[in-house]
Order: sequence, then C-alpha cells, then structure tokens
Amino acid sequence: MAEIVLKNIKKIYPNEKTKKHRFGKKAKEPEKKSNLQVTDEGVVAVQDFNLTVHDREFVVLVGPSGCGKSTTLRMIAGLEDISSGDLLIDGKRVNDVAPKDRDIAMVFQSYALYPNMTVYENMAFTLKLKKVDPKVIDEKVRSAAETLGITQYLDRKPKALSGGQRQRVAIGRAIVRDPKVFLMDEPLSNLDAKLRNQMRAELIKLRHKVNGTFIYVTHDQTEAMTLGDRIVVMRDGFVQQIGTPQEVFNHPSNLFVAGFIGMPQMNFFPATLVRDGASYQLKTPKFTVDIAPDTCKKLAASGVDAAETDVTAGARPEQIELVAPGEKGAICGKVVVSELMGATVHVHADVNGSEFVLVINTVDFDKSKGSSFGIGDDVWFKFEPDAVHLFDKETEKNLIQA
Amino acid sequence: MVKSLRKWWPLFLLPTALSFAFGFVIPFVEGLYLSFCRFISISNPKFVGISNYVAALADPQFAHSFWLTALFTIVITVLINVIALAIALCFTRKGLKGSNGFRTVFFMPNLIGGIVLGYIWQILINGVLTIVGQQLLALNTVAGFWGLVILMLWQQVGYMMIIYIAGLQSIPSDYLEAAKVDGATAWQTLWKVKIPNLMPTITICLFLTITNGFKLFDQNLALTGGAPDHSTELLALNIYNTFYARAGAKWMGIGQAKAVIFCILVICISMIQLRATQSKEVQQ
Amino acid sequence: MQREKITNRILTVVFTVLSLAWIYPMVMILVNSFKQNTAITTGTAFNPVTAETSAGIANYISALTKQGFAAAFGYTLVITLTSVALILVCCSMCAWYVVRVNNKFCKALYYLFVFSMVVPFQMLMFTLSSLADSMGLNTPYNICFIYLGFGAGLAVFMFAGFVKTIPLEIEEAATIDGCSPVQTFFHVVLPIMKPTYISVGILETMWVWNDYLLPYLVLDSTKYKTIPILIQYFRGGYGHVELGPMMACIMMTILPIIIVYLLCQRFIISGVVSGAVKG
Repeated sequence: MAEIVLKNIKKIYPNEKTKKHRFGKKAKEPEKKSNLQVTDEGVVAVQDFNLTVHDREFVVLVGPSGCGKSTTLRMIAGLEDISSGDLLIDGKRVNDVAPKDRDIAMVFQSYALYPNMTVYENMAFTLKLKKVDPKVIDEKVRSAAETLGITQYLDRKPKALSGGQRQRVAIGRAIVRDPKVFLMDEPLSNLDAKLRNQMRAELIKLRHKVNGTFIYVTHDQTEAMTLGDRIVVMRDGFVQQIGTPQEVFNHPSNLFVAGFIGMPQMNFFPATLVRDGASYQLKTPKFTVDIAPDTCKKLAASGVDAAETDVTAGARPEQIELVAPGEKGAICGKVVVSELMGATVHVHADVNGSEFVLVINTVDFDKSKGSSFGIGDDVWFKFEPDAVHLFDKETEKNLIQA
Repeated sequence: MVKSLRKWWPLFLLPTALSFAFGFVIPFVEGLYLSFCRFISISNPKFVGISNYVAALADPQFAHSFWLTALFTIVITVLINVIALAIALCFTRKGLKGSNGFRTVFFMPNLIGGIVLGYIWQILINGVLTIVGQQLLALNTVAGFWGLVILMLWQQVGYMMIIYIAGLQSIPSDYLEAAKVDGATAWQTLWKVKIPNLMPTITICLFLTITNGFKLFDQNLALTGGAPDHSTELLALNIYNTFYARAGAKWMGIGQAKAVIFCILVICISMIQLRATQSKEVQQ
Repeated sequence: MQREKITNRILTVVFTVLSLAWIYPMVMILVNSFKQNTAITTGTAFNPVTAETSAGIANYISALTKQGFAAAFGYTLVITLTSVALILVCCSMCAWYVVRVNNKFCKALYYLFVFSMVVPFQMLMFTLSSLADSMGLNTPYNICFIYLGFGAGLAVFMFAGFVKTIPLEIEEAATIDGCSPVQTFFHVVLPIMKPTYISVGILETMWVWNDYLLPYLVLDSTKYKTIPILIQYFRGGYGHVELGPMMACIMMTILPIIIVYLLCQRFIISGVVSGAVKG
C-alpha cells in the first residue's frame, strides 16, 4: 500500500538575510520569478497544496515553468525542505525523513546516470549500498533490464547510449529499487518529438506492468492527458484544478486551465451574458449565441442571477462546426491563416478583432466550398451546443461550479 | 542534501582551511603588520608607523629594481606573446608536417625549474661571451639583462604557445569559413576574425606573462644573482636581499614594507590588465 | 593551394632548425657532463667531448655519492609526493564542500583562495618561514602541510571550477539511492573529477619539484637539501666547485623530468591548458 497525502504544503524560499551594513542597505529584493507571491518571509513557490494520491494511481502535476510542480515533487522526494504542512506516506509523517528512507525512486529530466559506472552498476548501485546479496542484485537488475528491453546494454557506459536508451536505464534504476512511489520529473522533455511519442506509449505499457504509484511532472499537457489517472494543474504556486483528464478537459474550473489544456488552445472572446428569465444568451457586438437549455439550468443552479454578467467566453476549436453562409445564429469571420495538418485543417478566422481557430476535417473543408478557403474569404460557423464555457471576466472562474 | 553535507565540515573543509590559515592568511596579516614595525624576529616588533615605507621608497636600489623589472616585464610580455602567437598560428595550419613534434620540443623547457634554468643559461651565455670577447655575466649588465630575457623566452614561449593553440582551435570554424567566403586575406582574417575571438586567451597569456615577469626570482638569482653590483637585480631579488643580505635591524622592516608595496603593485597591475583586455572580449 | 603547400614545407624546415636550436642548451650540458673538470671552462663550453677530455661516467658517480645528489633527489621526491597527494585529497574535498554549501563563509573563503594566487611569495616569505619554524613544520616530512596551505589557492580554484559543471541531479540521485555525503563524494564525484585531478596534480608537481625559495627558507639547509637548493649551493661556488659533477647533477635533474614528460605529454599539456584557461 502506498498512499501519499499532502496537506497544506507550502514552500517558501527565504530572502537572503543581509546584515545591516554601516551604510544602512536594505535587505536585497529577491528575484521575481514570473508571478510568484513575495511576502516578507520570501518567495512563495508553492502554497495550499492539498492532494491525496491513492495506491497504484498515476497522478500528473502539470503547468507552465515556474508553477511549482517540480518543487512539489522534490518536496515529496525529500530534496527540498517543506516550509509548512504535512507530507504523509502510508499514514506516516515523513517531512523530516531522509530521502533514502522514504522508499521512493526518482527519474530526473536529465536522467542523472552515473557516468563512470556501467548500466549494470548504475542499476545495482542502490542495492549495493544497502549491502544486498550480489545474487539477489543480479536477479533484480536483469529482470528490470528485460522489462525495459535494455539487457544488451548492461555492460555499456551511459555516454555510449542514445537519449531513449539512457531514459530506459534511468527508469530501470528506479524499478530495481521496488519503491513505494515512483517520482518522475519531466522524463520525456529531453527527447526529440518522435521519440517522445514513442516513449509515451511505452510508459503507459510499463505502468501497467509495474503497477506502482506514480507521481509525474510535466509541462506538456498532452502527456498529462494521455498518462494520468488524475491531473493536477498548477500555476504560480497554486493548484488550479484536480481531476481526471476528462473532467479537466470538459469542465475547466477557470480560464487558465481552459486555456492550458487542449490543443489547439480554446478560443476566448469577451462577451456579455444576458439573462432572460430561465434562459440565457451570449451577446457580442457582432453576434449573439443562444445558450443550450442544459447549460442554462446549470447556470441557474450556480446562482448566476444578474441580468447582465461580463464574461470571457471560450469555445474549443474542435467544437466549432461550419454552417451554410447566412444561417440563423451563425458567426461570420474572415480567414487569416489556414494550416493544413493532414487529416484536419486549422483555420484562423478574424471576427471583429477576435481571432478564432477552427479545427475542420479536411473532407468537410473541401465539401463546404468546393475548394479550400483562401486568405480573406468568409467563413461561417457555429458553436456546438453545450460547447461554450463561461468565465467571470474579473475572477476568471468558471461560472458553473462543479 | 546540502543540509546533510553541512555537518561534515570537519572532514571536508577543516584540513584545507586550517592549513590555508596557517600557510597564507596568518603570514599575510602578520607581514602586513610587521611592515609597520622594526624587528629582527617575529617575537618583539616595535611599531614605527610608516617610516619603513618612506625608507623603502627612498632606497635608490629599490627604485632601480622597480624600473628594471618594469622594463623587463614589458620586453618579455611583448616578445613572448608575439612569438608564441606567431608559432601557434603556424602550428595550427593544416598539413604542417611534424607540428606535434615541434610542440613537444618547444614546451619542454617549461618543465625545468628556475634555478637549473638559470645555471644552464649562465654557462651558455658565458660561453658565447667568451667567444665574442665580451665580459662575462658577472661583470656585464647588458648581457645579464638580455640573458634573462632570452632565458624567459626559452621557458615561457612553449607554454604560451600551447595556450594560444588551444585558443585558436576553439574558434568556431564557421567564422573562418565565413571570412573565406567573404574574400578576406590571411592577414585580414588574422586581425578581424582570429584575434578578436582570441581575446580571452590573450587575456590569460598577458596575465600570466606579466605576473610571471614581475614576480621573477629563481631565474634571476641563478643567472646573475643581481651582478654586477645589483645592476641586474629585479624587484623580488631586491626584496630578498633586503631581508637576508643586509646587516642591521632596520632592514627587516623595510624589506617587509617593500614586500607589501610589491604585493600591491602586482595586484593592481593584474586588475588593470584584466579589466583592459576583458572589456575587449567578444561575446560568443 | 600550391602556395600553401610550399609555405608549409618551408615552415617545416624552419621549425626543424629552430627545434634543434631549442634543445641545444640541454645537449650542451649533456656533452659537458662527460668531460673532465679541467675541460669545462667558459671558453670550451661548446667543444665536444674528445677521448682526452672524456671523464666517462665518473662525474655522475661523483655527483651521486660525494655531492649529495642522491639525498637531494630523495628529499625532493618525498616532499613532492606528500605535498601533491595532500593537496589533491584535501583541496578536492574542500572545493566540493565550498561549491555545494555556498554560504557566506564559503564564498569568503573562495575569494581568499583566488586572492592568494596573485600574491607574490616575498610578501609572506619571512613570516611564513618563522611560523613554520615555530610550529616545527620544517622537515621534508612535514613541509607538505605548508605546501598545502600555500598551494591550496590554485587547487581549490581549479577543482571548484570543475565541480560547478557537475549537474546537481547526479548527486541528488546518489542521495536518493542512499549515499551519505562522504559516499556521494567518493562513489560519484571523485570518479567524475578524474581529469581535474590529473591537471591539478601536474601543475602542483611542477611547482613543488622545482621550488627553491620555500624549502630554502623553511628547511635546515645543512641537513636537508632539495635539488634546487643543492644546485644553487654549488653554484654559489664557496670554495672549489667541481664543474663536471655539477653538469652531471643538472643532467640528472632534467632527465627524469623529460622522461616523464615524453611519456605523459598529452596529460601534461592538457593539464597546463585547463589550468590557464580556468584562470
């Protein structure tokens, strides 16, 4: 059983304490990393982090650089001190326990293989330190190597291996330890695009073979969506949303999550939500959209009862459909760019200063007009029902609270 | 991890720090203090303010040594760096046969100690002087000066040459190829491409030759010993002689004061030189 | 292209001549070391050995037995080996600590180390030799501690430069794998730093082996002479100096250096370069 609980975890990097110089210099201003909070005590890298990772669960921490995901992972590993809050592994508080006693294994972004040791020695190192019987070590190393398909590299040194092979060795080193938790810090980031896709699939297979608890950090939302049982979206030290990939994709809790998850990014545009009894309408200077009845019910249930609310509305590119020109309720835009991706086309259309990206199947694209859209052409489209997300303009929170 | 490393300081830090304190810091501070005192041994110095410094600066021998050392340093810095760079440029040419062997030979003298070096060249130069009917080193100031110069060249050219070669080899070939395509001649390539990119290396070599020149002692002692009559006595040797070759208690303090002045001089020159050449360094 | 080839050929010839001239001084000493004393004067320094002037290897034997060269060689060897070993072990550990812990004390210490590299020896020579005397560190067997103190600057500087290039993640992986700091240093950091050990080792060896002033001032010269001291002593020429054995001494001083150099050339040259470049 390996359940990990993080309660109110906080991480502060304290200001450098400078002695009072004779000339009365003030304490040095800490460097501002993105928009992290700066208090009197220092830069707050992570705060109010609450999460329970269940046994055998694969949880992904995802967010842009500087959001605190790596810091959180390192706190779980014991490489960083926890400023306040509790970390429990299997019910035991481990804040002050040394990394080697937490029964964890970590795969670093740069793999961190020992360059002077062979692959075998790299994988055997931790067991050797624990003075395990060499025969047992041999068994474990070879079985891990088999699982990962690296048996033929056991006698090589890391510099003789390719990036993908090194990454497998790094994972092998972790498997051999048979830990309670696997921690992975952006393991795929150093691979080229094609290899990354390959390894992602391999990781999914591996996960089922090994069947352990995983905490995985990445800045790539695709990895998060495909690998995670649950994802934790972070920004500037705060948790934005925790949920399954589907939940986070379909019901983003705020503007940031909506924009971060999903490729291409959700289309955002300013609008006014007008309430008329039990039904709502979304009004912009150029067009008006009727809100679907289901959504209206949810809005009412969430207490949206002002006559007019300023919102930022969002619609995913995949959830926009082409319609006949002039159809009732359709939106007209002028094509600015069209990118042929193969099976789909990404069409960038300008509507009254706002740019919308539409993802259209190539087949539909040609059918609609007989030939592909050129730059400057008109394009008519509609949002699929239920496809509009509404976020409060000020607070950026989703109007519909789950 | 840093937290657990911290408490290991007795093992990691203490031996070195302690030896450093006794081997450098304490002697340095003591030396500084003693430069303001009159003393024979460390145990009972008498504070005399700046009179040591006054005497030092008034000592004509000290001034002579200073100008001699300055002149010497300028001469060798120019000669060594120009020659070393020229040789390095030759050795980095494609297809020069035997350049590895030449490199080996040219660097070898650098490994030989100063005293031995001085003595070898003393024999050699005296031999030459005898053949051309000039006075021997013990009586020949000009020969002594130039003898030192040649000796330094022999010892240092190989060393600087190696550093220049490394520097030249680290210039990205893209720059050289671009120059070729642009139609630059070898001379233009040298001045417009190679040397600007070589500035960090030039900084290092200038720094080393200047500080080596100023601090020179062993070779000076062995080749001429300052003869005739202290005329070829460089600064370091002068300070040494002030301490150990002059009779009278007051000379110790003056020697220490000279040493402090010498120290400040070397530090200042290093800083100035570093500033000057580092500002010319091209960012990659 | 043709012009380049011709230039190259000319250069090869020029440098061959130059190289021969370059090693001539050593050849001259070699030749003279086989002459009898009377045949070595300023006028005849360049004359080759003839049957009448030859002294065979008598000079060498005399140098080893009568002039005390064997003893000097022994002392120099002991001092060099102990000092360099001490410097390598202690300064590498110190440098790793200083770079990783990096608190105010470490930073100050580091700047002091760098500062010490510029300070000329004359500044300390008197005070250091007195201190060494009073602490009893004035025999060839414990002068290595003085060398550690004075030579720490360059060594720590070079080691620190290399430690800064070691990715912290490798050491963190070692910590997670269960290493204590000492284990991390010996299992992981030290093997990675091998090239730096060689570079620093070479530079320090060259310095200590050829050093004149420090041993001269610290050691009791009547009891212990290192090779530079021995040579300077005889050159001082108090009384009659036997030139033949003198030449042999010099030859025996240079020869080991040359042999080691020819064998380990690549290491020596790359060590010297990295020492300079890091500066």
